[in-house]
Amino acid sequence: MNDMRDNPHVKVLAGELAEKKIDRREFVRFATLLGLSATTAYGLAGKISGESFAPKAQAQALPKGGVFRLGNRIKEIKNPHTYSWGAYDSNMSRQVVEYLTFTDEKGVTHPYLFEKWDVTPDLKTWTFKVRPGVKWSNGDTLTADQIIWNLKRVLDEDVGSSMLGLMAGYMLKDADLGKKDDKGNPKKSQVLWDANAIEKVDDSTVRFNCKVPQVAVPEHLFHYPMAILHPDDKGVFGVGSKGTGAFELVDFSVGKQATFKRRNGYWGGDAALDGIEMTDVGDDPSAAIAALASQQIHGLVFADPVQYEALAAMPHLQFYSVPTGETQVMRMKVAEKPFDDARVRNAMRAALDPDAIVKVALHGLGRAGEHHHSSVAHPEYAALPKRPRDVALAKKLLADAGHPDGIDVELNVPTDLPWGQVQAETSVEQWKEAGIRVKINLMPGASYWDVWTKVPFGSTIWYHRPLGIMTYGLAYRTGVPWNESSYSSKEFDDLLGQAEGVYEVDKRRELMAKMEKILQDDGPLAQPLFRDTFTFMDKKVQGFSMHPTNYFFGWKVGLQA
Amino acid sequence: MVAFVLKRLVGLALTLLAASFLVFVVTEFSPGNVARKTLGAYATPAQVDLLYQRLKLDDPLLVRYGRWLGVLTGILRDPLQDPDLKLDFRDPRGDRYFGNFGYSTLFKAPVNDVIWDRLKNTALLAGIAFAIIVPLSLVLGVLAGMREGSWIDRTISIFGIVTTSIPEFASGVFLFVIFGFWLGLVPGTSPLTTSAGWSIASQLLLPVLVLVLYDSGYVVRMVRGSMAEVMNKPYIRTAILKGLPHRAVVTRHAVRNAMIAPFTIILLQINFLISGVVVTETVFAYPGFGRMLLEASLSKDISLIEAATLIALTIAIVTQLLSDIGYALLNPQIRLS
Repeated sequence: MNDMRDNPHVKVLAGELAEKKIDRREFVRFATLLGLSATTAYGLAGKISGESFAPKAQAQALPKGGVFRLGNRIKEIKNPHTYSWGAYDSNMSRQVVEYLTFTDEKGVTHPYLFEKWDVTPDLKTWTFKVRPGVKWSNGDTLTADQIIWNLKRVLDEDVGSSMLGLMAGYMLKDADLGKKDDKGNPKKSQVLWDANAIEKVDDSTVRFNCKVPQVAVPEHLFHYPMAILHPDDKGVFGVGSKGTGAFELVDFSVGKQATFKRRNGYWGGDAALDGIEMTDVGDDPSAAIAALASQQIHGLVFADPVQYEALAAMPHLQFYSVPTGETQVMRMKVAEKPFDDARVRNAMRAALDPDAIVKVALHGLGRAGEHHHSSVAHPEYAALPKRPRDVALAKKLLADAGHPDGIDVELNVPTDLPWGQVQAETSVEQWKEAGIRVKINLMPGASYWDVWTKVPFGSTIWYHRPLGIMTYGLAYRTGVPWNESSYSSKEFDDLLGQAEGVYEVDKRRELMAKMEKILQDDGPLAQPLFRDTFTFMDKKVQGFSMHPTNYFFGWKVGLQA
Repeated sequence: MVAFVLKRLVGLALTLLAASFLVFVVTEFSPGNVARKTLGAYATPAQVDLLYQRLKLDDPLLVRYGRWLGVLTGILRDPLQDPDLKLDFRDPRGDRYFGNFGYSTLFKAPVNDVIWDRLKNTALLAGIAFAIIVPLSLVLGVLAGMREGSWIDRTISIFGIVTTSIPEFASGVFLFVIFGFWLGLVPGTSPLTTSAGWSIASQLLLPVLVLVLYDSGYVVRMVRGSMAEVMNKPYIRTAILKGLPHRAVVTRHAVRNAMIAPFTIILLQINFLISGVVVTETVFAYPGFGRMLLEASLSKDISLIEAATLIALTIAIVTQLLSDIGYALLNPQIRLS
């Protein structure tokens, strides 16, 4: 890597420090995350602010002490490598066990347990340096061997980690290991594509030798099942587990509470909080509201739009939000009539008013989508010219496609998220004006996930991913398993392949603009909104910021007395 | 009496058997795949299929039911605890013992580690509520029924109708707004931890109050109806005409007879308070049996659903048995045979 002082993010931070938008502690914290050494960061901070170097303990800091109480769901956390949903379970274990990289709320990925990395121009060889001086809670030093043990474990198909789905394309290959299924038929296994795919260069260097170029490796390493566990714990997490994080788990009861205590000697500097208590507030939205109202908790891991008005009315709470790439895509199977005609798909888009749908479905707590599934939350998002609702155009497109009297179709909608249903209902009303008559078929989420790649017209939840190209690669590349619409465009695939080989965000954005336009003109989706994820915290809470994947970091937070 | 009880116990066993099979069938035909639910949205189809096979969910329904029954009775070892399956299902009690309810895929723990603590929490809530509901309902019901049509009767009857007709989720919110939000006397949720400075007793107040209001209204109306009916009987008229004081008429002649019909209803409230408190437990985030059953059902956690169903059914049948016995003791004219 170059001198980190030249890093554009460090320059932005320096500017913010000079304008007193952030304090020195924050500057040092983030500058070190970006790879700057702590000494250099403190020196630079002193130079900018005109203050001389001071030890961390004397620097302007978060208020010390106190126990932060967070409303969460206390699910089972025994196996971090196989977590299934992230926001609830990993938010407990991540206070204790940490990740190799850190993707912030703006989608920028920083070094973390990996101190820095290099990548070859072909984006196939990634060399990571292990951060020196990181100690486990039992006093052991973090080593390359321990990290490789974790990486190989999540890529072992017997473990059942969803990291496999993310990394299989560039790290694994199919192999016949002589395994058979229950009926005695030969069964393919997935193994590392090369014995050296994950290579130990030395005690503090790990190298990925990828099968194909991959730009998103650092982002993948922040995926919630990729927690770095101490190999002695054999993949099992619980009270007393060893970790490199700022806290230790001292008590845990499923469905009730998880209790964490600050650990001294944390490599990032001791946390300000004495401890964290996470309490199960259940699934009922009113229970969480009541818990906040009676100050049983300081904040919620995330809030739902139905809770917004009640929580916004409480004067002791502060609102936090961040744009995300979370959405429900109303996607059309391009091989099925009438969606096999691009004009019909365009008519479906032209008849919608995204701004109105955001207001109705999300109470305004989101952003209008542009029917291309790329969000302002993604670093490579490219703004295209606005396309306002045009009912006349929608009617004309339908007539040109041979449907002068409109069309009748059925939209399958999972009932998991209430706002997704409202989006569908509002869209149906808007489509009516263009002669698009849509019948909604509500399905329990569990049923929908059994048929989501099969139904001709479905409303599918897509959660936030740090890069737009990650979503494109999963959902719109020809022939991939999650391409639920069976969309296929050689031009799109070529552009995506190029974008995945470009590390610089600005250059990737240029390619992204072309892909977004292809989806707007020809794509298989009507996608009117992105939701903001948000929460409320007691005003005593300091240092908190909302993360688009609802991750909570105890080391960032302090509590005013 | 002994024959009657034995007969009922045999009936209990057969009912449990039939119910456990029905739960298997219903779960089989309800939507969703437990392997997908366990692994989440990011898992590949191959991973989902692999877990599905490891959980032996592709075996025929009858095979799975037979295996579950064998594991429960201790006849069979729990095959899911086989380390070769790499499911990491471990039960410190072993893989073969009577009462082995299996492994919860939702909580990733033996069902016996999950269920009893929650049942204890619900029993605490239900016990306190029951101890208040019974005397309160009896007193109000008798007061209302002994002078049918009086202002006391009308007041109590209206009270009963109003409290019964307000759903628990609504009364829970109303009561919290008054006593929690405005007056600050009680906390909004009941996680049964004291870390936020609220005592366990204070956390029980609102859930108990919601249950008492909702349930006592119904029981009051039953007692009142029975009491009013008894007060119109010829022997009560005779007692009044022979000059007995009103208090003596009520306490000596009316109350005991008026209790026969509501007795069954009162005992049936135990069932409601154990397995029907889903709403109250959810509204107050109370870590109880009802909420656990709801979550298990949403996750198709068959072992946990089966265990909870059997426990709820056992409680229902045992309380029914007790009510039959009590019925006979209250009214010797009834022969249990």
